[in-house]
Amino acid sequence: MTQVDTGMSRAVREVRSTPPIWRQWNLVWNFAQRDLKSKFKGSALGWAWSLVVPLATLAIYTVVFSVVFRMPPPQMGSGRDGLFVIWLFAGLTAWTFFASSINAGISGLIGTGALLKKIFFPAYAPVLGAMVAQGVQSLIELGLYLCVLLVLGNLGWTWLLVPFWAVLLVLFTSGLATALAVLNVHTRDLAHLVAVFLQLGFYATPIIYTLDYVPAERWGLPLRAMVEWSPISLFVETLRDLTYGLEVGSGTAWLGMAAWAAASLALGAWVHRRRGGDLGEEL
Amino acid sequence: MSAVERPAIRVEHLSKSFALHTEKRNSLKERVVRGRGSRGGQFDALDDVSFDVPRGTTVGLVGHNGSGKSTLLKILAGVYRPTSGAVLVDGRVSALLELGAGFHGELTGRENIYLNGAILGLTKREVDAAIDQIIEFSGLGDFIDSPVKIYSSGMYVRLGFAIAVTVEPEILIVDEIIAVGDEEFQRKCFDHLFRLRNQGTTIVLVTHSMGLAAELCDSAVWLDHGVVRAIGAAPEVIDQYLAEVNRAEAANVPAAAGTPEVDTPEGVARTGSGEVRVSGVELLGADGAPVSVLLTGEPLTVRVSYEVHEPVSEVSIALGFVHENGVGIAGTNTRQHGPRVDLEPGRGYIDYVFDELPLLPANWRLSTAVRSRGHTYDHLDKAFPLAVRAQGEVENGAVRLRGTWHAPVHLGADATSDPVVSS
Repeated sequence: MTQVDTGMSRAVREVRSTPPIWRQWNLVWNFAQRDLKSKFKGSALGWAWSLVVPLATLAIYTVVFSVVFRMPPPQMGSGRDGLFVIWLFAGLTAWTFFASSINAGISGLIGTGALLKKIFFPAYAPVLGAMVAQGVQSLIELGLYLCVLLVLGNLGWTWLLVPFWAVLLVLFTSGLATALAVLNVHTRDLAHLVAVFLQLGFYATPIIYTLDYVPAERWGLPLRAMVEWSPISLFVETLRDLTYGLEVGSGTAWLGMAAWAAASLALGAWVHRRRGGDLGEEL
Repeated sequence: MSAVERPAIRVEHLSKSFALHTEKRNSLKERVVRGRGSRGGQFDALDDVSFDVPRGTTVGLVGHNGSGKSTLLKILAGVYRPTSGAVLVDGRVSALLELGAGFHGELTGRENIYLNGAILGLTKREVDAAIDQIIEFSGLGDFIDSPVKIYSSGMYVRLGFAIAVTVEPEILIVDEIIAVGDEEFQRKCFDHLFRLRNQGTTIVLVTHSMGLAAELCDSAVWLDHGVVRAIGAAPEVIDQYLAEVNRAEAANVPAAAGTPEVDTPEGVARTGSGEVRVSGVELLGADGAPVSVLLTGEPLTVRVSYEVHEPVSEVSIALGFVHENGVGIAGTNTRQHGPRVDLEPGRGYIDYVFDELPLLPANWRLSTAVRSRGHTYDHLDKAFPLAVRAQGEVENGAVRLRGTWHAPVHLGADATSDPVVSS
């Protein structure tokens, strides 16, 4: 060992090696597997739960909304009379993916804190891992939903656009989840605030009601337009258009989703770069 | 080391400060109410530290608690970012900071290997290639497919160590792994560390075991309050460090073994009928002056003072040396090894003289006893602390042996596989 003598060629790189995000898939996927495996380990039914729970949800909503509330559902794309439960399930699937990913990302990063204190890896990895785990669950629900539509004979070529829709939703969710999870490490009460806003978001999105129920204007605010162009509404409505109504959806809706996704990604990347580097000290 | 060769690790003017907010402003309310926090001073954990670690060498970080070793290690592992300066590495870093920290209790050992491997930056294929070796090294056998929550703590760390070292790191960062697992596994770990070292892995090691540091490290960095105190070949740096520790301890413990600690609350048991009482023990160096920290191999006189209340005859005065691990290592008494002792009322003392203190570094305790034919006049159990410290090379065990090695004897080239052991 010597004291540093200048003039030596510099060693190649900083300690923190951060391969680009697409090279980190293995790490993200391992976190996702951890979440998925630990979710059902030790339960007798195991993976069956990921099917049982959405089926039970569907059954409950069937009872509630065909007996108690009797919401008039929009007509299906095939011309068949609408089924409110199916219509509702589409909205719930999209919403649940978003909301659960945000929550799981926040708690996932905190839960990985012990690890981040010992070894460096990008903070978004456990967040995205949690989202991927939630995504697997949501795919099962989406498959269930499409199966029901298939049985009802409501099938169209617009289904082929669902993957594109899913990509935009995943991008939108990952940006926001990363930003919130990282900020929550610095300011812990963000998690509580997020819970409140998610509840608000649930009712501010046409999930259990159709957009027509929202007054066009109230308190001097263009309430219906605000609801319509809120990000989750766009995603929820577009999924219904593609699968339930068998329509492509408006170009502006697709543009809107792309814009929200881009904005969310930019926010996530910015927060991660600014505040994501010192989590080992903050956790 | 040639000047053209790139060092594996280069630490350049590295400083790290931590903000000392008395309470962290982690809640939104506090931020809103009190603003972004009055900067409550800062603590410099590392201050302008620079050194190079040449490729393939092993370097030990030594220093007392709070000297900045762990902070430096965390920066080397990338967990902390330097406040200023830089750390540059050339090669894959594998950090062994806390064994098994990344395990998830519900997952099996095998699943955890894949998770930990991914965190260490390995691809699935690399883990696939290494997994059999990892499982074998860990010695977990069939337990590998059980959830790690049922593992014992020993199994836990064994798996963690197995993963960290089997991934063939180019640079390995090790924090205090010494007290891990059972004897056999520890030996395996050391063997493996030596093997990695021989293969050219660069190793940075934090340890409080100077013996290990001297054995394993080529060079050492001594950190003191965030500043490099010494840097260089391991034996010299360790000697300097130990000398400083001894000095500091001598300053703090002015008269370590003066009076028996009988009156202390922890209560050293004094037993015996009391005709004779040991009133104190003095530890004297070669010059006859009291010493507070004893050094292995140096002359030492143990002076036992006593008060006699009734005349007694043919008594035996005994000393017992008890190691810090509680084992009585050695004892001596005047009946077996000394003169006949008859005591008249009054005060006096008796000396026991070591030409070279054979006790190895540890916090020893000294017991004294005055007995006669099975009757105990006075017995002070482990009443006197003896802080023995090292100088020079660190040895294993509790006492220094006095034997001598002779030169090896060659018995000819006709090698038979039978071991030459006569029973």
